[in-house]
Amino acid sequence: MSDRGVVFDLGYVPYEGPRLGTAAAVRAEVRDGIRRVLGLRRKARKKILPWMLVGIALIPAIVFVGLAFLLSSFDPLGAGEDSPFGGHVDFFGLIGNVVLLFAALAGPELLVPDRTEGVLAVYSSRPMRPRDYLLGRTGALAIVLAGFLLVPQFLMYLGFAALDDAGFLRALAERSDDLVQIVLSSGVYMLAYGAPAILIATFARRTAPATGVYLALMLVLSGFAQGMVEGDVTGARFAALGALAQHPVVVTDWIFDHSTFGLAPVDAGWDPWVSLAIILLVTAVTAVVTIRRYRSLM
Amino acid sequence: MTAPIISTKGMSHAYGDIVALHDVTIDVPPGSIGLVGANGAGKTTLIKILLGILEPTVGSVDVLSVDVVKDPIPMRSNVGYMPEGSCLPLSQTAADFTVYAAELAGLPRRASRQRASDVLTLVGLHEERFRYMGEFSTGMKQRAMLAQAIVHDPSLVFLDEPTAGLDPEGREEMLELVGRLGSFGINVLTSSHVLTDIERTCDWVIMLDGGRVLRNGPLAGLTDTSTVEVEVLGDPVVVAEALTRAGATVETDHQTVFVEYPAGDTFVLVRDVLADTGIGMRRLGARSTSLEDIFLAQDLEPPS
Repeated sequence: MSDRGVVFDLGYVPYEGPRLGTAAAVRAEVRDGIRRVLGLRRKARKKILPWMLVGIALIPAIVFVGLAFLLSSFDPLGAGEDSPFGGHVDFFGLIGNVVLLFAALAGPELLVPDRTEGVLAVYSSRPMRPRDYLLGRTGALAIVLAGFLLVPQFLMYLGFAALDDAGFLRALAERSDDLVQIVLSSGVYMLAYGAPAILIATFARRTAPATGVYLALMLVLSGFAQGMVEGDVTGARFAALGALAQHPVVVTDWIFDHSTFGLAPVDAGWDPWVSLAIILLVTAVTAVVTIRRYRSLM
Repeated sequence: MTAPIISTKGMSHAYGDIVALHDVTIDVPPGSIGLVGANGAGKTTLIKILLGILEPTVGSVDVLSVDVVKDPIPMRSNVGYMPEGSCLPLSQTAADFTVYAAELAGLPRRASRQRASDVLTLVGLHEERFRYMGEFSTGMKQRAMLAQAIVHDPSLVFLDEPTAGLDPEGREEMLELVGRLGSFGINVLTSSHVLTDIERTCDWVIMLDGGRVLRNGPLAGLTDTSTVEVEVLGDPVVVAEALTRAGATVETDHQTVFVEYPAGDTFVLVRDVLADTGIGMRRLGARSTSLEDIFLAQDLEPPS
C-alpha cells in the first residue's frame, strides 16, 4: 500500500442531525439582533456609535463610584455613604438621553434593513411566524437596552457596597432594595424608549430618517408639552401626557421615592401612575400595530 | 406515481378582486420541477402559498405531506426558498449570513457552521465567504442566495427565477448548480419564464397561464411526439412525394421533412424511401417539441 496521502472527495454530505424548530430559530435571531445593534461582525463604522454610547453610559457610574471612594478616603466618617454627587436615581436622570439616542439607533437598525433588503423572505421560509420574528427582534432590543441600563448600575451597586463600612457582603444585603428599584426602573425605561423606536421602525424605509423621526417625536413632543405647561396655556394639562421622553423619569423618581420637579406631567398635576399607564399604553399599541403590520409582510 | 411532494386540490387565491390562481389541482412527484408561465401567471403566488406565506382563498395544499394551510411551521424546517429579488443583508459576510440561515432553520450552531462552509464551497463562494455581501457582484449574490436556501439540507427547495439578472456565463453556472441539486437528494421547484432553463434542468413541468394550470406532467411526455424529422441532402420535395404516396403525412421546412405514419414504423418507412429515391440524409430522429411550441400551439403568448 502506498504511503502517499489520498484525497477523498466526500461530495455532498446530507444533514441528518436534529432540527430544533422555532425556539432555536428565535434564539438565533436574538443573537443576530444583539450583534447587529452593537455592530459586531460588521464593518468598523457600524461599531462606532453604539460603543461610543456604551462608553458614555459607563462614565457616570465610574465617576459616581470614584467620588464615593475619594470621599471615603478623605473622610473616614463618610465612608460607606453613597456619593453625595450622585446615586442610582441620579444615574437614570443623567443617562436618560443617552438611552434615548441608543434606542433611536437600535430600533431602526433591527427592523428596517430586514424589510428593505428583502431578508424577510428568508424568515418567511423558516419555521417562524411573524410574531416569532418580532419576538426575536424585540428580545434583542430588550437585552441590549437592559445591558445598557443595568451594567453601569450594577457597577455602582458593587462599588458602593465595596466602600461601605459595614463590609462588602453585608452592604450588598442591606442595599438589596436598591437592586429591585434599579431593575424596575430599567424595565420602565426599556418600555418607554424601546416601544416607540420599534413602532417607528415598523413603518420606516430607511434607518437614518427613522432615527430622526424618533428623536423628534420624543424630544419635540416633550419640549412642546413642557412649554405649554410652563406657559399655563389652555390644554396644557393634556398636552403634558404627550411628553413621552419624560414619563420614565417621573416613574423612576416614583419608584425611588425621589422628589420630581421640572417635568411636564408632574407640573401639570398628573400622578406618577398616569405616566406608567401612558408607557404601558404606548407599548400595547406598538405590539398590536407591529404584529398586524408584519402579518401582512411575512 | 410515488407519493407527491406537492399536492393541491381546488386551490384558488385572489388579491381583492384580482384572481391570481384559479382552481389549481396538481399532484407533483419528487424530482426537478419546472414552474413556467408568463409574468403575472401566478408563479410567485403559487410558491408563496406552498411555503405557507400566503393562505389560499379556498382549497387544500399539502407540501411534504404537511397541510400547509393548517400549519406550515413543521414543513418549513425541510424546505428552502430563494426569492426572485435580493434577500441578503448587505452589511454581513456570506459566511455569517449562511450560518445564520442554517440556525434559523433549526440546525445547532456547530452543524450550522459546518454546513455553511460546505455549501459556500459547493456554490463557489469559498474564497469570498468572508467578504461583505454588499461588495458582491450579481452572480455572487445569486450564489449566496442559493446557499442560504440549501444550507439546512432541505427536502424541497423553491427557486424563484434563479437566473434573473445574470449574464450568460453566470446563467450557465447557476443552471449547472441547480441541475446538481437533484443528485444531492434535494427536490427542486424552479420558477422561470425562460423556457429553455426549465427544459435543461427539470423532468416535470407545471405550466401556468392567467392563474390556471395548463399542463402538469412529465417534461418528456410533453415535448416528445410521434413525428419523425429527417434532414435530407437532396431535393426534399422528391422525398416528401414518395412518403405521401406511401401513406404518410408530411410537412417540409427547407431541407427538413417531418413525417407521421400511424400505419407502421415511421423510421423504417423513411429508411426505405431514402433508399428508393437515392437521396442521402444528414440527420434522422424523433421530433422534439419545445415548451415554447406547446405555448404557441395553445395560442398563448410564450413566456419569453
